[in-house]
Amino acid sequence: MFILIIFILMILASIGSFAFNQKRRTFVVASTGIFLILTIAYSILRFSSGYSSGGFMSVENYGIATSIGISFSIGVSGLADALLILSASVIFISAFIGESHDYTPTIYSYILLAEVGLFGILISRDFLFFYIFWEVVLIPVYFMVAQYGGRNKDHVSLKFFVYTHIGSVFLLLSIFTVYAYHYTSTGVFTFQISALMQSKYIEQIPTYLRDFAIFGFLFAFLVKMPSFPVHSWLPDTYETSPYPGTVILAGGLSLMGGFGLFGILLPVYSALGTLTLQILVALGIISLLYFSFTALIQKNLKRMMAFASAGAMGFVTLSFGAGLLEGSAYDANLELAGGMFQIVAHGLIMAMVFTALYFIKKSTGKETTYGLGGIYREAPMLSTFLLAGLLASLGLPGLAGFIGEFSILVGSFSAIGWLIILVILAMIVTASYHIWAAQKSLYGPYNENLGKISDIPAHRFAILLGTFAGIFILGVVPNLIYGILVSYLGGII
Amino acid sequence: MYLPGWFIFLSPLIGAPVALGIGRKYRNLAGIIASIAVGGALIASIITFFYVDSGTVVSNSSKLYILTGNYAYNHYLWFLNIDAGIFIDRLAVVMALMVSFVSLMIHLFAIYYMKNDPNRHVYFAETSLFTAGMLGLVVASNLVLFFLFWELVGLCSYLLIGFWFFKPNATAAAKKAFIVTRVGDLLFLVGMAILYDSLVNFSGLGNNSPLSIPFLIQNAPAIASYIGRNTLGIIAVLFLAGAAGKSAQFPLHVWIPDAMEGPTTVSALIHAATMVTAGVYLVARVFNIFYAAAPFALYSVAILGAFTAVFAGIIGIFVNDIKRILAYSTISQIGYMLAAIGLGGLFGYGAVPLGMFHLVVHAVFKALLFMAAGAILITLMDLRDTREMGGLWRRMPMTITLLFIGSLALIAFPGTSGYFSKDTIISASWVYFTQYHTAASFLPWLFLATGALLTTLYTFRMFFRVAIGKPRSHLAEHAKDPSVFPLIPLFILAAGALLLGLIQVPFYKFITPNYEFPVVPIYIEAIPITLVAVGLIVTYLIYGTERWTRMEFSRNHIYRLAKNKFYLDTIFTNIIAERVIAPVSGTFARFEDRYNAAVDGLGKGTLTLGALFRRIQDGVVENYFVVLIVGISVVFIIMELAGLM
Repeated sequence: MFILIIFILMILASIGSFAFNQKRRTFVVASTGIFLILTIAYSILRFSSGYSSGGFMSVENYGIATSIGISFSIGVSGLADALLILSASVIFISAFIGESHDYTPTIYSYILLAEVGLFGILISRDFLFFYIFWEVVLIPVYFMVAQYGGRNKDHVSLKFFVYTHIGSVFLLLSIFTVYAYHYTSTGVFTFQISALMQSKYIEQIPTYLRDFAIFGFLFAFLVKMPSFPVHSWLPDTYETSPYPGTVILAGGLSLMGGFGLFGILLPVYSALGTLTLQILVALGIISLLYFSFTALIQKNLKRMMAFASAGAMGFVTLSFGAGLLEGSAYDANLELAGGMFQIVAHGLIMAMVFTALYFIKKSTGKETTYGLGGIYREAPMLSTFLLAGLLASLGLPGLAGFIGEFSILVGSFSAIGWLIILVILAMIVTASYHIWAAQKSLYGPYNENLGKISDIPAHRFAILLGTFAGIFILGVVPNLIYGILVSYLGGII
Repeated sequence: MYLPGWFIFLSPLIGAPVALGIGRKYRNLAGIIASIAVGGALIASIITFFYVDSGTVVSNSSKLYILTGNYAYNHYLWFLNIDAGIFIDRLAVVMALMVSFVSLMIHLFAIYYMKNDPNRHVYFAETSLFTAGMLGLVVASNLVLFFLFWELVGLCSYLLIGFWFFKPNATAAAKKAFIVTRVGDLLFLVGMAILYDSLVNFSGLGNNSPLSIPFLIQNAPAIASYIGRNTLGIIAVLFLAGAAGKSAQFPLHVWIPDAMEGPTTVSALIHAATMVTAGVYLVARVFNIFYAAAPFALYSVAILGAFTAVFAGIIGIFVNDIKRILAYSTISQIGYMLAAIGLGGLFGYGAVPLGMFHLVVHAVFKALLFMAAGAILITLMDLRDTREMGGLWRRMPMTITLLFIGSLALIAFPGTSGYFSKDTIISASWVYFTQYHTAASFLPWLFLATGALLTTLYTFRMFFRVAIGKPRSHLAEHAKDPSVFPLIPLFILAAGALLLGLIQVPFYKFITPNYEFPVVPIYIEAIPITLVAVGLIVTYLIYGTERWTRMEFSRNHIYRLAKNKFYLDTIFTNIIAERVIAPVSGTFARFEDRYNAAVDGLGKGTLTLGALFRRIQDGVVENYFVVLIVGISVVFIIMELAGLM
């Protein structure tokens, strides 16, 4: 019930936010902050104990049109809970950093609307509502890019919308495929995810329909991740989007792809087939290599980190494929839990990196490596935070990114063998361009063209410190969420 | 829970933020706080030493390391089946004592050395964290936790090498250090991945984490027979690659000479206490894995170490920068330590104390050398070129005497501590040869003995140029000693450099109870000493006089080769980075742009198509019918073909 109340409050708040004009930012920051606290409280109450067998908590079901199988049913799995915390944090950061003299009040309503969509996706146990919320997220992000974006925003926002919408169309087709076949075989209409997405049922579907459905799901999820080769919306959108939007894109939208893989497709893992999994492994490794090498020569830090974000999500794709190919349960657990952990870690880390870049952009007006240079001298605090974010992003131990990457790397050896060398190569390149970016923009002689710049004020310091604290705590005490992720897996595999 | 053991690394870990926080307000307190924190670690190490020492040790004849006596092992679940905690046995406590003691001496000297730096609170917070990282690595109970601290050490070295962030050289060196060591670190990580994957179904695992260090130590032979000695050998070699990165061994040593751009006390920390010894410690820590693996594992340790000892020594002879000479000497001496442990293929665990003793002794005299160099550089305004020095012995007698003592220990002059630690290694390598009588087993001795000559050459080339003759620059003429007070830590270290030889046998017996001294014929024993004497005479003849200023080598091929550091930097930077990685990356980026443009084009094409359709929808009903009929026919044809009708 508790999570439903939070969700309803969220919908009310997003509608109610339009009533405010001058104070809308205050309202939205306050409400997203409250939602973050409530979500954490909910997680502590429901998941700190008593979730050892996996499954769903807070399951509720309200029939709406039962004759054709539509009902509003919710439930929170361990994975969904971890991602709920992540999306609540990311949305709060996004609302917090967009300051009111930069944006008109509408952007804050978009931010809240995006939160509604993300929460809806994560708690829905019904495919129809899942799909609706899947689309709901798209709209505010599209408008954020289209209204507040930078260079070339019309073209980029349209591309983003059309591209991701094509993914959604495939999702819808797949949903209808499994829905329709369920009726053919059992005579019952249902959109229940738990009924449709179970191996026993999926394996009954004739091969060509099943392959089509799985292809549709995978396509939709991989577009959102994004994974090579369906990533073309990513660099432009990240670069053009206003920073609060980029934070949502990096932290929020990428989790949709991850949740699709681990939340929707994982229960039917036995129906996926070895070839599909091998393709996913290949796509993961290619994404890692491709994005790290592409990022290496980017001069725009925002674009570089967009590729870094996509590269880090390559680990998630890899872990999904390799984890299900594993022979031993131990490796599979480590691998898959690592992949899910990586989604959370990646979201937080990217939120922090883009926040720091935003503050640098605000103080200096620059976001390219050659436009900056030596700003540590003038803004040591800000530079240190950007460095911390970059180090977290390259997977430094002690920070959250390491736990995910370590689990994935260590777990994947038995599935991918010496291909691990390619992953290592990508990690070396990743480390190189992160450090290179830090060296070019933060250290060395000060770029006097920038004039006098000021270090960050207290409230910006606080948000960066808070985000970093989250990354650090997850890196040192990963079991805060690692445990429930493993329990979640235990309930499935 | 054994609290003093935890306190070993927690003390400086807590000290770091405290020093930063208080230092923001009171700059001068930062150094004192950091020193107290490191001192706390030293006290905790001493308490732990007595705890570990008090246990009764069961002597045995195995060549593997057997856990015996008192040791502290507390561990807690970290995530999944990886645990975290401390494991302190005799090896770890010796290392912890050395690290905390040498680090404390360096911190005390740094209070003087950094006294005018505006960011010294940051400096002391970072060095305290650096020490915490190293101590954490020493006492870690699990390889994953070990790796966490291992990377913390790497991070701190990155921050400290680039501490003078406004110097482009310093930040470039920091970047290089991070990336080069990262290459080794990731190979180490692959080694862990393979080990973990091989062990998850191992029946002897019980409740242990597959990467728990005590578990690996106790079950090494069973592990070897379970996963195969060759696979284990590959794992060990990957570990060695990690060690080579951290410990600056060929070919991953290229970062360390550049790392001299940081403050000199940082160099002292990196070279003596907190960084480069980590790799040697790793090999010593999981020695049983190396020993249980196929013989090539330990042999590659030996040959890598011995080769690096000579390789770095040769380069060291041609370098003029005082700190870089010391840097190459470190690479070379670390080579001795690894070579010593590599001899464990014959001696078993008895080889570890050989390497460890040299590690401890080296830490003491290398810290001394670096800090003496630091004292020189302060008065010379950071002029590091030895060609511009000269005659400093008369002008700064205390400092140069300290440098002299350090140099004697470095070349293993008979009677100094370096003699006891290093000549034993060389003798042991001769025993190694007499046991196998193959060319391959002769190489370690050959390299290590040659290294004795090279060490003397580069050390006293530096020393004579610095200390005697006439000053060759204005700055050198006006050099003067610092006051006695800041030099106290150096005097303590100098006493150690001279006297540590006395504890050689107790040290060996502390780590390996059933230790046997290598016995070699007297004429073999005499070879390294003779080489040292030859080296001293040669360097005195050339560099003790002004003769070297008239010598000209620049046309000599060997000179050019060594002067360019055997072109390794060129290979890494100009060929691998610029000719391979950068173009590949450029190709990827170009492909990405094209691909992106193609997708855009597709989108545009669709829009054009949409416009076409719009034209069809012109409101003429007949046209709609045509489309309708054609469409229905197509659907029927498809259904017919698919056999659905």
